Amino acid sequence: MEQNLNDNSSSLPPKEENINTDHTTHSPVVESEDKPDGETEKATDSEQVLEKEESKAEEENEKKEEEKEQEQEQEKVEEETVETQPESPAPSLEKVTEEIDQFILRLQKHVDAKESTSLEIPNFIHAFLHLVEHKIEKYDTGETKWGQTIEDDSSLLECANRISRLMNHFIEYSRSHTQEQQEDEEKEKEKEMGGLDFVINGISVIQQRVISFLEDEFRTLMEEFRNPNKPDSKGKQQVADSSESETPEETIPEFPGFAEETIANLNKIAKQMIASGYENECCQVYAVSRRHAFEDGMYKLLGYEKFSIDEVQRMQWEALEREIPTWINTWKECTSVWFPAERKLVEMVFGDEAETVLSLMGNISRTIVIQLLNFGESIAMTKRAGEKLFKLLDMYETLRDAIPIMENLFPDDIMGEIKAETTSAKCRLGEAAVLIFCDLENSIKSETGRTPVAGGAVHPLTRYIMNYLRLACEYKDTLEEVFKEHSKIERADSTSRPRHESEESKAKSESKQKEDVSPFAAQLMRVMELLDSNLEGKAKLYKEVALSCIFMMNNGRYIVQKIKGSAEIYQVMGETWCRKRSTELRTYHKNYQVETWSKILSCLSPKGLSDHGKVQKPVLKERFKGFNAAFEEIHKTQSMWVVSDEQLQSELRVSISALVIPAYRSFLGRFSQILDPGRQTEKYIKYQAEDIETYIDDLFDGNPHTRR
Amino acid sequence: MPATTENQGSFLGRISIRRNQVMSMDGTHDQEMEDLELFQKHVGDRFSELLSTTTTGEDSSGDALLSISWLRRLLDEFLCCEAEFKAVILMGRDPSQIAKPPLDKLLPELLDRVVKSLDVCNAVALGLDAVKNLQRLAEIVVAALDVTPLGDGQVRRAKKALSALIAAMLHEDNANAKGTERNRSFGRRTGNSSGASSKDRVRSLSWTMARNWSASKQIHAMMSNLAAPRGAESSGLAQPVYIMSTVLVFVMWALVAAVPCQERNGLGTHFPLPRQLSWAQPMIGLQEKIAEEWKKKEKKGNVGLLEEMQRMEKLGQSLIEFAESFQFPPETERLDEMKKNVEEFAEICKKMDEGLEPMQQQIREVFHRVVRSRTEFLVVLDQAGKLSAPAV
Repeated sequence: MEQNLNDNSSSLPPKEENINTDHTTHSPVVESEDKPDGETEKATDSEQVLEKEESKAEEENEKKEEEKEQEQEQEKVEEETVETQPESPAPSLEKVTEEIDQFILRLQKHVDAKESTSLEIPNFIHAFLHLVEHKIEKYDTGETKWGQTIEDDSSLLECANRISRLMNHFIEYSRSHTQEQQEDEEKEKEKEMGGLDFVINGISVIQQRVISFLEDEFRTLMEEFRNPNKPDSKGKQQVADSSESETPEETIPEFPGFAEETIANLNKIAKQMIASGYENECCQVYAVSRRHAFEDGMYKLLGYEKFSIDEVQRMQWEALEREIPTWINTWKECTSVWFPAERKLVEMVFGDEAETVLSLMGNISRTIVIQLLNFGESIAMTKRAGEKLFKLLDMYETLRDAIPIMENLFPDDIMGEIKAETTSAKCRLGEAAVLIFCDLENSIKSETGRTPVAGGAVHPLTRYIMNYLRLACEYKDTLEEVFKEHSKIERADSTSRPRHESEESKAKSESKQKEDVSPFAAQLMRVMELLDSNLEGKAKLYKEVALSCIFMMNNGRYIVQKIKGSAEIYQVMGETWCRKRSTELRTYHKNYQVETWSKILSCLSPKGLSDHGKVQKPVLKERFKGFNAAFEEIHKTQSMWVVSDEQLQSELRVSISALVIPAYRSFLGRFSQILDPGRQTEKYIKYQAEDIETYIDDLFDGNPHTRR
Repeated sequence: MPATTENQGSFLGRISIRRNQVMSMDGTHDQEMEDLELFQKHVGDRFSELLSTTTTGEDSSGDALLSISWLRRLLDEFLCCEAEFKAVILMGRDPSQIAKPPLDKLLPELLDRVVKSLDVCNAVALGLDAVKNLQRLAEIVVAALDVTPLGDGQVRRAKKALSALIAAMLHEDNANAKGTERNRSFGRRTGNSSGASSKDRVRSLSWTMARNWSASKQIHAMMSNLAAPRGAESSGLAQPVYIMSTVLVFVMWALVAAVPCQERNGLGTHFPLPRQLSWAQPMIGLQEKIAEEWKKKEKKGNVGLLEEMQRMEKLGQSLIEFAESFQFPPETERLDEMKKNVEEFAEICKKMDEGLEPMQQQIREVFHRVVRSRTEFLVVLDQAGKLSAPAV
């Protein structure tokens, strides 16, 4: 190896110069040992230090150095005469790096072999450090800019790489030799190690400076997307701009808007920082930047705004209602685009560092997910109200659907907590939805108005409940699920949060009891029963039995129509139920007929009209009078009654006609000639059968009709 | 972690068994009095335990006040109190009992405090994230200074991290108060990059809560209407409701004082605790101690009273001094002193590394627990039919 070095330094510069170089590079040694604290303290910045070091060095050269120091130098010079590095007019980095690489190998072998002999420190190391310093100086002052030429940048990264390898090997070397040092040749070694420490110090300064620069550069690259107006990033600004505006619609690779070139740069820098032991700095910059980018993005691109839980409780529902679609959309964007993109980015930047990838990815996703879930939790906590059900179910569905997507997206280590949190928020929403739906019972029970609806028309409660149910049943599958899983409020003291198994088995045993009726169907039935009994109560408010029949028919018909109109409810309530309802309706119909029309029909009965085969004229007159009066009365009142369902209306009219008209026609046919034609006939026979039909068509119109 | 979750199950089991027996024996009233007294006593005992095993300064036999391990115990005790409270109020009781005055008003007030405490939990969890970032900065310091031979480069690296660390600890509050963007672009390439980036870090260390959210306002809101029951009420169910409210407010207050939280200006140092009641005594003791700490730090501006952070700050200051006066080669004496500090620094990092994550999870547990309890209370209030809808 010695031989090797000799070969390398075949063109030897004069010895004088050598000494000079040595002085310059070693001068920090002299300075810091000799000068009092006060002087060095001023040198805070690395540039200053180095400048100062150099000027001091010159001073030192002129001055007489201390004995000890001189001795050391002397020794060095003597030892290194043969192998001093070339101080050619313009020492090229390429040349020096070759030598450095070989030296690193040598050093490594030396350390690996645990050789106890000490190693001379070749001068080209100092030349190398100088060259790197010069290079970083240019970057620091802005003379060279990162991203201008790839060659410059990769050369800087390579330098950083060599420096950290040098550093690591030297430290290891120093460690092994410090141990031996304690045993023998203490004095000798101390001197030698002293020299070594100074070299290490020199390397550490350059390393710190280079990595600092890289860290700043890393930060700038990370921030470019977020601060496109930043003055010194004009070149890439457009790239960032265009991708930013497209982000929401774009496919995965377009978010979060980094150009491929930028990502490649980030990756290179991250690799080097990590190799140099600066992983913490690198991750911190990355984490902080991504966290802000993500949050800003959610706000600026998706319009998602954070609200505190307390705030949500005090907000108007109208305002919250507007936030919910944004929230849902944010979830969808996050799970379909943002999280995958975030994962891809971290993998591309920190590709080789599995643990780093996991922790960076985990931290950001976990916090964002919990933050999003908070809104769900706070909505679930708001005061319950019927109109909230549908939005709550939308939110529930969003979380339910997000879980499997996230399971594919996040590694298990991260997903465990995310899943537990998401499931928990989903539970809260589900429970709230169940409670709201069950509140329907209360709203039915609390409807205790004593004023009957005019004309026996459909009660507003019926309309409200049925329309509500119809809307709710658009969410039938979700409601079935929600009722199955969340109808039992989870006890806070249960240790495990979601208890699917036990709840499912509970649900099963319950449903068995109720002949396989799902919990939701059971609840729906309960609501319908309550509505029925409430309506029955309301029917009693009418003084006329016939009108209460009409009321029941109206409401019953409305309910059946609504149920038949929605495949979902129909499915839940079942055919049997509907058939039963139709039967009930027919009963009401029959009751109505009996109530209203049986009396009037008795006027038309031939019974009791004739005495010994002879029609009693006065009785006949009374019969006609009675019929006319009763019919007029019915017409007057019942045309005010309301049957808004056209079919029901016509059914009623048809059935009334079928009942009354044939009877009237035959009565007329049989007895009209008994009355004296002319005045008497006119007086008692007011209506022809056709007139009756016309008047029947006036019934249930809700309008007062005058007799024509 | 003290095995609270396990304890709790058996505790609830005991209570319910006992109550069932009692119900059948028809001695409900006496038993109820006993339960209430027991609850008070337990609360007093729990906090007295927290107070008596608290150490300050050098003594390392117990957990230092407001240290991570102490706060975790506080959270455990809170969970126990909460479970016991619920058992006392809800178990085996006719819903109508808790739906009549004065509980019809006091319970919804407590539930309102619970909602407010959820935001505090969230803020504290995010605050712990910020502490994790401090930990990472501290780890940089340790990594840099724990090298032999120590050179200027390492010291500069450590100094950069230290300035960021100290700046973050002293000014986090202010930075949060101002809220939004700081000038991030200048300072780069000006040669003094550490200054600029520490400002960067100050702003960025924590996630933010909703706009305008303020931890101190939240705590104040929780404190309002908090008054000890008087007269006949003081022997009934109003008492445990009041105790639970007080425990909740105290715990949240202590957490906000310890952990960096958004906007804590004017966080009170005192809220009224009933001096005459024995269960409140240990809490008063703790409150005084914490308040004292708070006053000491308030003027300086600080990120939180978390014991680990405070120690970190102190050590950080001396390490910065070391870094500023460092010259190569270092004197052995100063080096040794520094090594000691770094060791302690590393030890704090380790504590943080071990404690922060579980504490965050505990905070989440508290969050979920009180949410569910709130729901249970609302269900019972609903059942009682006196309240047709949640009061909150």
